[in-house]
Amino acid sequence: MMRRDVFQAIADPTRRAIINLVALKRQNLNAVAEQFDISRPAISRHIKILQECGLLVIKQQGRERYCEARLQNLREVALFTEQFRAFWTDKLDALETYLDQDEHS
Amino acid sequence: MDTSAQNQPIVVERLFRASPERIWQALTDLDQMKKWYFKLDAFKPEPGFEFQFRSGTSDGTQFLHLCKITKVVPCKMLAYTWQYQGVPGLSEVSFELFAEGTGTRVVISHSGTDSFVSAGPDFALASFTKGWTYILNISLATYLSES
Repeated sequence: MMRRDVFQAIADPTRRAIINLVALKRQNLNAVAEQFDISRPAISRHIKILQECGLLVIKQQGRERYCEARLQNLREVALFTEQFRAFWTDKLDALETYLDQDEHS
Repeated sequence: MDTSAQNQPIVVERLFRASPERIWQALTDLDQMKKWYFKLDAFKPEPGFEFQFRSGTSDGTQFLHLCKITKVVPCKMLAYTWQYQGVPGLSEVSFELFAEGTGTRVVISHSGTDSFVSAGPDFALASFTKGWTYILNISLATYLSES
């Protein structure tokens, strides 16, 4: 079974571009598609994946369909990156402890 | 299209009360690395030198880290690639040393960590974090209390 999560959503550059495009302001679906050189069906697939990953919703308004970003889920990605920061900060702590220890021994 | 938000390196830095030469030793001497960093079989601060080490969780999940040195400027800069066996993605870590007063500022930059996101939350949020916690809190604490 295909996994659908936020990590999969942003693993693709086109999907990242779509998120950036709609992040600040919701966009008409056609306007989104026009920004890219790839085919409509390909864009639709990316948008479908973004919907399934919870980063984007499509809202019907009259005859128009709009893409709206749901960026709360990106927090998961920020947390992922934060782990590396925590890791290296801990390593600096370990280095400091080692140097202090070494100096006093 | 701007996707730079996902591509910024993680940067951590600290000022140490030690000379650049002393820090360089801690970063590149195999025996000293064992005491605060990782236990490697071999290490030579030479471009192209490859090394690897395992680190993992208390429940036995292990990640084999694969690294290859990309840049060496003695007492100033050390950089190497940083990958995990069986996990897609490639990152690079650099250590820069700057003499500052009687001490040394160490700046660690880790770029490309976002390339691991496709490995997903299982890799990221479960085993991996547990691994670091184990290494840092248990292994290091044990080492320090025994030495």
